[in-house]
Parts: sequence; C-alpha cells; structure tokens
Amino acid sequence: MRTLVCFLALVLTAFGGVAASDVIRIGVVGPMTAMQGQHHWHGAVMAAEEINQAGGIVAGERSYTIELIQVDSNEMVSVTDAVSAVERVVGRVHFLVGGFRTEAVMAMTEVAVEHGVPFLIAGAAADALLAGRVDADYDEYKYLFRVAPVRSSDLAKLSILLLIDVVQRFREDLGIAVPRVAVVAERLEWADPLVRQVEQLIAAPPPQGLGAEWVGTWRPSARAESVSSELTAVERADAHIIYTALSGPVGVPFGRDWGRLEVPAAAVGINVEAQSDKWLDATGGFGAYAATADIYAREVAVTERAIPFVEGFIDRVGELPLYTAATYDGLYILKAAVERAGTLAVDAVVGALEETDHVGTIGRMVFDEKHDLIWGPQYVTGLGVQWLDGEALAFWPKNWRPDPVNLPDFEFGYPGAVPYQIPPWVLEHWAPEND
Amino acid sequence: MYWLKIPFRFLRSEVLALPTRVIAVLFVAVLLLFPFMTQDTYLLRVVVLTAIFTIYAVSWDVLSGYAGQISLGHALFFGVGAYTTALLNLRLGLPQHAAIPLGALAATAAGILVAIPCLRLRKHHLALATLAFPLMLTGLVFMFPGLTGGELGITRIARLATSRLVEYYAVVGVMLAAVGVLWKLMSSRIGLIFHALREDEVVVRALGINAVRYKLLAFVLSGFTAGIAGALYAHVIRVAGPSNLDLFMSFQPVIWTIFGGAATIYGPVTGVFVLYPALEYLRAIPAYRMLVFALLVLVILRFMPEGIGTWVRERLEVNCPHCRLRNAFTRRTCRACRTELAS
Repeated sequence: MRTLVCFLALVLTAFGGVAASDVIRIGVVGPMTAMQGQHHWHGAVMAAEEINQAGGIVAGERSYTIELIQVDSNEMVSVTDAVSAVERVVGRVHFLVGGFRTEAVMAMTEVAVEHGVPFLIAGAAADALLAGRVDADYDEYKYLFRVAPVRSSDLAKLSILLLIDVVQRFREDLGIAVPRVAVVAERLEWADPLVRQVEQLIAAPPPQGLGAEWVGTWRPSARAESVSSELTAVERADAHIIYTALSGPVGVPFGRDWGRLEVPAAAVGINVEAQSDKWLDATGGFGAYAATADIYAREVAVTERAIPFVEGFIDRVGELPLYTAATYDGLYILKAAVERAGTLAVDAVVGALEETDHVGTIGRMVFDEKHDLIWGPQYVTGLGVQWLDGEALAFWPKNWRPDPVNLPDFEFGYPGAVPYQIPPWVLEHWAPEND
Repeated sequence: MYWLKIPFRFLRSEVLALPTRVIAVLFVAVLLLFPFMTQDTYLLRVVVLTAIFTIYAVSWDVLSGYAGQISLGHALFFGVGAYTTALLNLRLGLPQHAAIPLGALAATAAGILVAIPCLRLRKHHLALATLAFPLMLTGLVFMFPGLTGGELGITRIARLATSRLVEYYAVVGVMLAAVGVLWKLMSSRIGLIFHALREDEVVVRALGINAVRYKLLAFVLSGFTAGIAGALYAHVIRVAGPSNLDLFMSFQPVIWTIFGGAATIYGPVTGVFVLYPALEYLRAIPAYRMLVFALLVLVILRFMPEGIGTWVRERLEVNCPHCRLRNAFTRRTCRACRTELAS
C-alpha cells in the first residue's frame, strides 16, 4: 500500500442525484497519532460524508465528490517530517486543511504557497501565521486562511471577558466589591503580552478595566509537573480568582493541584488541557469547576449546526471535539467557495474564499483582510466552558453586553449556556467576607 | 590515446579495484543524475533533506566518532547556523550565499565556546555538559522573542534557490564537497591524531602532541560543518525555530552515525541515506512507522554493531595481513604485495 488514501466517494446514484464524475482531493494534515490530528481527520470525514451524500460539490456544469487524503505530519516530534508529509501530497491535492503546532504550520504553509495550494489552517492560533504574511505579501500568501481556533489576540480578549464574568459573579454572589486576582501563566512568549494586558486591566477602573486588585503573577514552566508551590503562594496572597494562561502540559498539574489543595480561588482563563474530554481523568477528578476558553461544548446552540455536529462527533468518536475538528467547517467553506467560483481554478477559489460568509458550527465565519476569522458578537466569539457535573458546559457568552456604553440594551448569548458556578470550597472559604 | 590511458589506469587501479569505491562512485553518479530520472518535487526534497542531514551527521562523526568528544547537544551548532543565517537574511537583507557561510562561522564560534569549558571533561561528563548547551540556547530564544521569534521561530527566510533543481544541486554539491573535504582531513595526520585522542589522550600528550589544540580543532571543524547544515536547512524549510535546538535534533546524528558506522565518514553518509528515506518510505504504514523504524535500527545494531557501512565493507573487502592494503573479497592475493589473502 503506497499511500493511505481514504476514499469517501459515496455514490450519488443511489440517492438519485447527479452521477459523480470527478473528485476534489483534500489533504487533511495533522499529527494523526495524537488526539489533535485524529480530530482533524474525524471532523473532515464527517463533513465529506455529509457533502458527498447530499450531492457533492457542484461547480458550473460539473459535480465533484470529495476524496480525503490523510497526511500524518508527525509535527509534534519533527518539523522536517511535517514539511515532507505536505510535500508528498501537495501535487495530488486541490486543497489542504489542518495543522496544529505553530512552527510546523509555518513551515508546512510555505510548501503549500510554493505550490499554490490553498491551505485552511484548523488548529494553530498564532496571529503571525497570517498577519505579516497575507497582508504583507498577498500574492505569495493569499492561499492561506484560518478556520479555527480564533487567533491568539482574540483568544486573549475572550479569556479576559471570561475573567470579567467571574469577577462579576464574585461581586454578586459573595458581595466582594474588589476581588483579588492572581495570574498564573506559563513561561512562554505567547503569554507575555497577555499577562501584561491582564495585569493592567485587573486594577483599572470599569468600564475599561475590571476594578479588581492584582495580587501577583506566577510563571511556571509549560512542562512543569507540579504547580503546588505557585498555588500555595497564590493562596497566601489571598487571591479570590486565578487567571490562567496555560497551553502546555502544565495545565493538567495545575488542575490537579488546584483541586487537590482546594485552593480557595476560582480558576478561569485559558487552559488548553481543560478543553479535552479527558480532563477529569487526567486530573484525577480534581479538575472539576475549572473554566477555560474553548470553541465547542455540549448542549450550547452557538448556531443551528453546533449541537448536531457536537452530538454527531461524540457518537462517532466518543468524545467532545477539540478545536482541530473545525476541519468540518473548513470543508463546508471550501464547498461553498468552489460552488461560488464555479471552477477549481485556484485564483478563482481563493477569491471566492475571501467572500465567505458561512454559518458554521462555531459561529458565523467571515474572513478579514488577513484571511483570519472576524471575532465578535454575530461572528465567531468562542466559548467559556466550565467543568460541571462531569461535563464541560458553556457559561459564556450569556447575557454578555459587548458595548455597554453605546449599546446598553444589547445583550448577547447562546441558548444552552449555563451560569458560571463558583467552586463550592471557594464559596465556603469566602462566604463570611463582605466588603 | 596515451592521455586516455592515464585516467583509465587510475580508474582500474584505484576505483574498480575496490567494491566500496565502485559503490561510492555509483552513489555520486546516481545523486548527480537523479533529477534527470525524476522531477517529482517530493523526491527531490527528500534527497535535499537527506543531503543536509548527511552534512550534519558527518559533523558529529568528526567530533564524537573520530575525536571521541561525545556530543549529545549537537543541535546547538545546527541551531546557531540556522538562526544566524535566518537573522542575517531577514534583518540585514544579506543574500543566501553570504548568510550561509556566516551562519557556519557563528556555529564555529559556538563550537569554541562549548569547547573551552568542556576541554577538561571526558566521556559521560562531557556528553552531559554538551547536552546542556542547546537547552541554554533554547532558553535564550524564548528570552528574546523580539529577535528570535520565540516559539514561532523566524519565518519568511529567503528560499535557497528559485527552482528546486538549483536547490538540489546546490545542497548536493555542498554535501559532496563537505564530505570530500572531511574525508581527506580524517585520512590525514589530523584524523590519525583524532583517533589517538579518542583511544588514549595520555599517550597523545606523552608523544608531545598538543591535545587541547586538536580537541579545539575537532569542535571547530564539527561546529562549522553542522552550522552549514543548519544554515542550508533554514533556507530550505524557510523557518528557523526552537525545534532546530530540541533533543530530537541532537540525537538524530548519533543514531545515523552509529547505524552507519562511527569514525568512518562514509558511515554517517550511509546511515542518513538509508534511514531518512526509509522513514519517508514508511509513511505508507503511518500507524507502525516509528515502531518499524525503531525495530530496523535495533536489528541492524544487534547484528551489525559496528554499523551497516562497516559491516558491508568488511564483507566486500579484506585487509592484506602483510601490507594492510585493502583488497576486494574476490582476490586471492594482495593487489600490491601479492601476499596470499585469507579466504
């Protein structure tokens, strides 16, 4: 077997549709031995099956079925491997979707643009994957788009909004007018601007800031295996809330130590490990009540497509989709673009992709001039999820007022979002305190 | 006709007389003619990367195989070469042909910097000390993200060449030149002293040879060569990032060299040209790729502990017991002194 090709052509004649005469080959790129890559693949397979069953992609006079090619990038281990994997298929595919590790995605997308193959990134958040490339050298990098997750800078905004929500909960439920906030961020460069921004916002008066008190910042290694010393220091600083910026494996020891020590401070922010369905198992059950930014959650109708997709994915794979499963939306976006273009000619499809206005599973997906998703209410916002009763449930946006000054009556939220709950041991610890 | 006889005689007596030399000539010929056999960009890219990693592996062989200065942090030189050429190309706008040698020189300087504190260390102490250097540089990379790009690395580095064909011949040419130069050097007095350093440093000093100078030379040669590999890599991949400095990158030349045969120069060449394409070929079975690869390495090392290159050479050639000259295994008498060869 020379290549691992998953042929998903579901013959349309069985449904009385148009006879499939051509195929569109899409390479699904990801670390296929890791969960992130597997979710890339499952998301794409779900979309391809649905599209093929519904008649495929009709462009002009011709109809196409989708054929997926699995591209195991092994990018967690080797960037060179990732580049070779893409190079191996780039001459045989019309489009590429996926990618996870930022440095590898940088290198893989260089191969894609060299061959003029559109690459829809679904897994790496760094702004610099598109900013400084598409806008600086459009002719070379016009083939790159991002469908998930939201870019890092928007992810930062989202995490701060979650912090604001939790601060508000402390004010309302415990009557603490000026909650004390500690920052625990991994020692990586992406977190640096976020930490600086959060430190300023915490103490700034509303509406620009949170009107809270910043008690300190702790920066463990992204690969730390214990965070108990940092958490003990946080407890000694009398923090009510811990703002987290954790993307690496340190997220698990943080959740485990935080729950095990019953640190009397609610944890909210970014914790990529807490986005996994295996979070509670990984933390020995101590990760309950942790809250993080995410894009998928059970039972929240971000759009009309969100719940069917999430449930369908859980039925198929047995776990909640990671953000890499947004290859599902990537394929639908490609379908719509090819149909609008009426051809597979790359420049025409790129032009059509730029006109995308697609209601996907994570929101209304529209690309800006850098080919990144527009973030905000009515577009893609992301979610705040909290681990409650063994499940990751969305608590944000719910009654969110994006512009309280100019639009004081405009509230935004998704059906199915539940209120944020302060962890019971935190509630108990701070209940007597009233400022 | 007379002038034709000279190269023909040389070919017959110096190349065709030994099977391994025939293999080497065929290998170079296939390498140079490869683009005439296929224009597949993937296959060309595989050979290009194989050639770059060959330079890298050979550099480890010089330092650790020949001179016995075990380096487990060789990615330092590779990474310094990659980052320096990337910075010079991107920030100062230096063209590739200027940035690459300067990247190699920076790696040479890194070699001296590593050598100075490590000169008194031996064996596993030295290995552990060298392991620390790429970790330190990784720390610096994250400490100055404005300059180094942090975990994203430096991107949009200029392509090595405008076409894949030019890129192919540029990299393969540099690889052949680097291997050829190091082969000659290691066959000279320098290589002999490196061997002696590895076997018994005290004896080397007792002979009045400045061991420190030769150790330093090993670091310099190795650093420069690994720096060339790193610089070429940055222009081919177009990203110089922290992965250039990680442990995986440090261990790879060790695996390649030991697989092919250490302290031979041809060993790392064999190792990389067998293992790297094999790993690519194993993409056909992605789920078992790394497992099969690891088993392949283990089996080879179990049955060919001196490395596959050395094993093949020992099967194809025998040393004359009298004059030590190598002869093809088919000969019954030595081609120089006519001594009978053991069957």
